[in-house]
Amino acid sequence: MEQTSVLRASLVVALGALLEAVLSPYLTLGPVSPKFTLLAIVYAVYPLGDLQAVLLGFFGGVLYDALGGGIFGVGAMGGLIAALLAARAGAVRRKGMEGLLMAQVAALSVAAYDIINLAGRGLAGLYAPPLGGYLFAGVLPDALLNGALAYAFAAWMARRARRRKGRGWEAER
Amino acid sequence: MSVGRKKSGPAGGLAAVLALSVVSLMLFTVYVKEGDCTSDSGCGPLHTVQLGAAEVLRPVRALLSLAASPFDVAQDRLAGAFSGEEQELRRELRNAQALAAEASDLRRENERLRQMLEGERPGYEYAPLARVIAPVGEQFTNRITINVGTEDGVRPQMPVIVGNNILVGRTTGQVSRHTAEVMLVTDHNFAAGVRIVPPAEFDPSTGQVDPSATEEDVTYGEGILRTNIEGYFGVEYVDLSARAEEGDYVVTSGRAGGRELLFPPGLFVGTIESVSSTDLDQYKKIVVEPAVNPDDLEEVRVITDW
Repeated sequence: MEQTSVLRASLVVALGALLEAVLSPYLTLGPVSPKFTLLAIVYAVYPLGDLQAVLLGFFGGVLYDALGGGIFGVGAMGGLIAALLAARAGAVRRKGMEGLLMAQVAALSVAAYDIINLAGRGLAGLYAPPLGGYLFAGVLPDALLNGALAYAFAAWMARRARRRKGRGWEAER
Repeated sequence: MSVGRKKSGPAGGLAAVLALSVVSLMLFTVYVKEGDCTSDSGCGPLHTVQLGAAEVLRPVRALLSLAASPFDVAQDRLAGAFSGEEQELRRELRNAQALAAEASDLRRENERLRQMLEGERPGYEYAPLARVIAPVGEQFTNRITINVGTEDGVRPQMPVIVGNNILVGRTTGQVSRHTAEVMLVTDHNFAAGVRIVPPAEFDPSTGQVDPSATEEDVTYGEGILRTNIEGYFGVEYVDLSARAEEGDYVVTSGRAGGRELLFPPGLFVGTIESVSSTDLDQYKKIVVEPAVNPDDLEEVRVITDW
């Protein structure tokens, strides 16, 4: 049962990385773009234990680094942080609050990723905009967009789960 | 949402986070320090992995690019609809356009391809005509992927043009067998040695500079073309005394002193949009309008030798 859950989580993360590598060039608007890999990590590792979560987050990030063509290590670190936050949030979750919690975790993860990416570019000698302006014009809208996406996705999944449960109850009658 | 059981404790997780953070930093360091395919030492393992992934994803990206092209056309039409004059013309020509649309598209495509194939500079070698597969979606970059690679003679750091002499960028270290990443002129990491020439002296269609039209007692501006940290695309380090006026052309200089640069001389980059300076400035502030809108790129060519 648990193996199935980990396998499914791995597939979700791999799919997220692939989607981001292929689709994000068309969906990027300045510094804002949907971070499918981080969203997939947050969603997939939410029910997992800490160790499984961070391993999955790390390797999901490495996969995105390989597919996306960015600086290696940045995605890995971003995935790691996203997984850690999601696993911790998963441990303290309350029923009915999953969507909000996931949105917060996604927003924080994306903000962390953006800052790591900026620092990484600076260290690698590539162009990096000034931090002050970027925090407001880049990190904030990016985090808000991805937080909203995570919330919408969680709400949709919850509705799907409720509908499935409803069908089960009807079937029992 | 499926819920699995939690087995590992926070301590195990924390140890793993610390270890994996170190691994991430090591990956970062190796990536930055290893050969980035532009140097003689060749590609490092992590860059090779990225090139392999680009090669694997090439068919998917090409398909997606094909699927996205109708949306680009729709976007262009939508933008055009806001222009009053264009709207008027569109109304007048609607019937004729409906009949001739397909033929016109084909003719335009044919002319553009012929111009690209025939408009070769003597003594220059080109890779085959390349199609833009996809933009590169990384933050802070302005790059595209094209469908030619090392098998077509493309190597890192080669000039990429449209037509026979309009510079649009250069290849980066990410060149695989069938794909190459192109850093566009508007990318923040792009830089090229350029000079400023008056319109009378330079023919943008041929790339020929006519020195006889140059005034003898005037020094024409030379500098570095790049996107400034303030975000404008322009020429930097042009002396206040040098000539640079609105409407002048910006072309690659090819040399800086005795040193040969990455780009051959005479490639047209754009037109000067504005020139300004204050008493405190050491150099002129020159804003350039690129000759080609990077969003409109469809086919490009790589100059492999000159």
